[in-house]
Amino acid sequence: MKPAPFVYFRPASLDEALAHLAEVEGAKVLAGGQSLVPAMNFRIAQPAALVDINRVAGLSSIEARADGGLRIGGLVRHRALETSAEVARHAPLVAEAMPLVAHPPIRTRGTLGGSLAHADPAAELPAVMLALDATFTAVNRMRARTIAAADFFLGLYATALEPDEILTDIAIPPLPRGAGWAIDEFARRHGDYALAGAAAILVTDDRGTCTAARIGLMSAHDRPVLAAQAAARLVGHRLSPEALADAADTAAAVDADPSGDIHASADYRRHLVGVMVRRVLARAAARASGARP
Amino acid sequence: MASYIGERVRRNEDARLLTGRALFVDDVQLPGMAHVAFLRSDHAHGRLRGVDVEDARRYPGVIAVFTAADLGDFWQPGPLLVPPPPVPGLEFHARTQVPLARDKVRHVGEPIAMVVAESRYVAEDALALIAVDVEPLGAVGDLEAALLPDAPKVHDELASNLAARVRQQKGDYDRARADADLVVSRRFVYDRGASAAIENRAVAAAWDPKSEELTIWDTTQAPIPIRNGLARLLGLLESQVNVIAPFVGGGFGPKIMMFYPEEVLVPWAARRLGRPLKWTEDRHENFGATTQERSQVHDAEIALTREGRILGVRDVFLHDNGAYNAYGLTVPINSQCTLLGMYRVPNYESEFKAVFTTRTQVTPVRGAGRQHGVFVMERLLDLAARELGIDRLELRRRNLLSPDEFPHNHEIIFQDFAPLTYDSGDYLPAFDEAAALIGYDRFYREEQPRLRAEGRRVGLGIVGYVEGTGIGPYEGARVTVEPSGLVRVATGVGTQGQGHFTAFAQLVADALGVDVEQVRVVTGDTREFHWGTGTFASRGAVVAGTACRSAALAVRDKVVALAARLLDAAPETIELEGGRARGRGRDDASLSLGELAARANPLRGAVTPGMEPGLEATAYFGPDRGNTANGVHAMIVEVDPETADVKILRYVVVHDCGRLINPLIVEGQIQGGVAHGIGNAFYEQLHYNEDGQLLNASLMDYLLPVATDVPDVEMAHRETPSPFNPSGLKGVGEAGCIATGALFAQAVEDALGHAVEIRGIPLSPDRLFHLMREARA
Amino acid sequence: MKVTGTFLFRGPREAVWDLLQDPAVLAKAMPGAERLERTEGDRFEGSMKVSLGPVTAARFTLVVELADKAAPERFAMRIDSQGPLGFTRGKALVELTPVDEGTMMSYSSDLQIGGRIAAVGQRVIDMAARMMTEKGLESLQKELDARLAGGSRA
Repeated sequence: MKPAPFVYFRPASLDEALAHLAEVEGAKVLAGGQSLVPAMNFRIAQPAALVDINRVAGLSSIEARADGGLRIGGLVRHRALETSAEVARHAPLVAEAMPLVAHPPIRTRGTLGGSLAHADPAAELPAVMLALDATFTAVNRMRARTIAAADFFLGLYATALEPDEILTDIAIPPLPRGAGWAIDEFARRHGDYALAGAAAILVTDDRGTCTAARIGLMSAHDRPVLAAQAAARLVGHRLSPEALADAADTAAAVDADPSGDIHASADYRRHLVGVMVRRVLARAAARASGARP
Repeated sequence: MASYIGERVRRNEDARLLTGRALFVDDVQLPGMAHVAFLRSDHAHGRLRGVDVEDARRYPGVIAVFTAADLGDFWQPGPLLVPPPPVPGLEFHARTQVPLARDKVRHVGEPIAMVVAESRYVAEDALALIAVDVEPLGAVGDLEAALLPDAPKVHDELASNLAARVRQQKGDYDRARADADLVVSRRFVYDRGASAAIENRAVAAAWDPKSEELTIWDTTQAPIPIRNGLARLLGLLESQVNVIAPFVGGGFGPKIMMFYPEEVLVPWAARRLGRPLKWTEDRHENFGATTQERSQVHDAEIALTREGRILGVRDVFLHDNGAYNAYGLTVPINSQCTLLGMYRVPNYESEFKAVFTTRTQVTPVRGAGRQHGVFVMERLLDLAARELGIDRLELRRRNLLSPDEFPHNHEIIFQDFAPLTYDSGDYLPAFDEAAALIGYDRFYREEQPRLRAEGRRVGLGIVGYVEGTGIGPYEGARVTVEPSGLVRVATGVGTQGQGHFTAFAQLVADALGVDVEQVRVVTGDTREFHWGTGTFASRGAVVAGTACRSAALAVRDKVVALAARLLDAAPETIELEGGRARGRGRDDASLSLGELAARANPLRGAVTPGMEPGLEATAYFGPDRGNTANGVHAMIVEVDPETADVKILRYVVVHDCGRLINPLIVEGQIQGGVAHGIGNAFYEQLHYNEDGQLLNASLMDYLLPVATDVPDVEMAHRETPSPFNPSGLKGVGEAGCIATGALFAQAVEDALGHAVEIRGIPLSPDRLFHLMREARA
Repeated sequence: MKVTGTFLFRGPREAVWDLLQDPAVLAKAMPGAERLERTEGDRFEGSMKVSLGPVTAARFTLVVELADKAAPERFAMRIDSQGPLGFTRGKALVELTPVDEGTMMSYSSDLQIGGRIAAVGQRVIDMAARMMTEKGLESLQKELDARLAGGSRA
């Protein structure tokens, strides 16, 4: 389990990093390396070159924005998200998700941008960003562009990111008044890839009617997905246990299209999606009602 | 005099281990050392038509590439390590592993070519340049299909994939069955697992052309047999070959003395190339290259009276050997013998067929087949209890062997070739103590009804087992008192974390009246001790420990004789304490052991006839037969009916391994064993597909239980001494993991109100989900 | 691994049949196939380079053989690929049935996947097979559209 030969660049600036990406065929960005390096050791990944961005300045800050949202640099470590007071205040769903992300050693090294760009269908952060309706900034040598989370995840490990782009920023909009949130997952052991999981934001008006719902699913599809049909069944309704159960059933039956593997057959996984969505919605709804004035 | 036996002495070796100052094989770095990697089969079964290594040989940094064709006469199948036991009518076909595949590949991970290069990186680069031409043949996995006439044959020259057939019986089961009020029969399945030691295997070797000595560092559990075997293979004197098994990060069986391909090829190539070489198995390789255990399919039945008295048991099972069977029949014989457990079974009929499959070879892994037997028996008892309407704990009580039935001869042959004879035991109090600790009565009276009313699914399991331990043939030890006063103990067994440096020191310290920290134990180095076998079968403390004690007692005699002479006292009045010898009642005159050692090795004056220089003695211990430890495990679990997850709420072990040397070490063994058992029961499974591919050859997908999955085990010790050795010891190495599968099954069934019946291990949430869904349908 | 399914081609059966016998087209339908050349009769050899998420630039040799042909109804395809990461081999059966909307293709393949891909990729292998099948079928339809529109055959 030793990697194949590769060329290693360690640029000090974003411009330099982008230049390497543009110029070297088959170059990959090395951020935290928690998925890429094991894949290289197995030699299933044999990138011609690595562009190590760990010394690139300006990608590691967490900033609260005037509107109550957050701007998070692509190189922010999971551990920084986990311990940030700004994240806890402005994006409590992210704070709640962090202890579920792998193990402390991995969180110490792994980055938000890296997790999103890797786009593992079982990962927490892509599902969380879908639920939060986050926007990503991707930069190449010529320009910067923004991509909504909902447009970012295109397939199995496939994203809208081009090979010459670096994901530099993640913008999380402010939580509306009356919003509740929750994340849960079922994994064989703490820190494993979830067999199924869900992250949700529910927004209610003063009368307790759901005005918006976004539910990100883990391990429910070949990519991180929103449970759009389930969410649609909640909007305009009061969040009764029956309504939540109905939405959970919809998420499992309609939104999810899981595959089977040795840990969970497809039918078991589909069942778990329903269980996780129901549990998450119940907690999010309770928080939403608590959040109402 | 205070005794160390039974004391919670902190481990002498831990300071070195915990501060990273212990030598492991991968730490061995020698000038000019080159590195080895192996090309392994991607195919489960195929005819090897060609191996083209020319591109690899030309790759910069590659020193040599070897295929089977390059090995010449050195290419030969490995030794049959354990011949079949003398059971009448036994059929056995030995086929042992080969150093590099020549005509056929027989499992994924089997080595085909060996690359030696300046670094492991370069060696792995070169592997990618080797072209292998394999004509695929059908994989053999399903044990029943493997024996059908049209099955592909793993070994072409054999009539079939049958590796062995063994039938053992006691009494007359058919008659017992005819007399029975109830017969319960079922099929039980136990699937494969890995040993997953924290340290993978590693071999380093250096040939010194001037001293003509070959030194090998090896993660083996049995350095002396490896030394002897390699000397024979390489045409060297045993004294020219040194095998050092330094600290080893877990053995669990697969490191015993396999003469693995890597273990014979690395020393051979080091000598041939004149370069020190090292190969360290990576985790991915480990999943195909290191031996595994477990697949068995049992068709079993039990016959009882309506009062719940066992009349007999019949068990017919298939055992998965993997592609080779160098370790003989140890694992299935253990299953066959351990099934009888703590119970009085007057009639027993057991027949197994061992089957060659296109999977990695099976050899003992902690438990070594015992858990299969326990699973079958305990499941049968659970089912019978339900059918008879007898409480399952009560049913067990009615059938336990009583203390006056020992030694108890079960009349069948055990893995040590002797009739299966339990030395001693007292089982009923063990069951009662476990039931009391887990709160059996209160659980059913109060807890389970209350929690069930809250919608929670909690269940209890309680299961007993025996563990045959401490088998021969023998071990030896040499004890030396040095002039510094330090006591040196050398023994031939290797150590893989068992606490030998402490337990052996305690036995020796007691015999010589010295502080336990003054006793320095050396294990696993053939330069230090020449005779012995190894650490396996829960035998280290019993066999090597007793040898250490005997040698120490012989040294004691020398100390006493010399002290008596020098102190002018009668030998029977000499007392040894605090590292000094003194005459009773003569506190003014004493000599330290160090002074005595110096006096025993004088620079002037003759060693008189009949005397030996120094304070040193060597002793051996070879028990006639093994001894039988026992235990009862109890557990409370909660099942989440929605996710089908299982959480362990409590875990209790009442254990009896005879006289305890060091409860701290015994508890560590049990806690670790339980972790291993929980893994086997609920997390770990080697998933082979029908093509013989292992689908989870990484620790990403092969799920070892982690700290959050293993509870702190609540333990109680009972001590029924063994009459087979002077200290009354029995082994404990495998105790923790033997009962766990049966325990999980019983507790989970109980939690689910017996809506499901569990006949297979390992369980998983997915499997449980489907069982629950079938039960509802 | 078994992959079975149906796919509706918007085009007549003969056109679909011709499409599926053309190595250049087959190469396009196999994600990552770099080239595929007829070596003799219905045997084609080439190479492929698979990139999928963390798997980058994994190289495989590729041999495809068509057999049991009953034009324009059905044929079998034997696939054999290997490389340092392992191998894929097996057989696919393809049947074409004319339907009102075009041609219904039903396919069933039984593939052995071995080596490192099988050993460490189990979590995504089903998803990957599904995705690669979908991609392949989409590109076949595109090629068919182009042909029916009189476009390039390349």
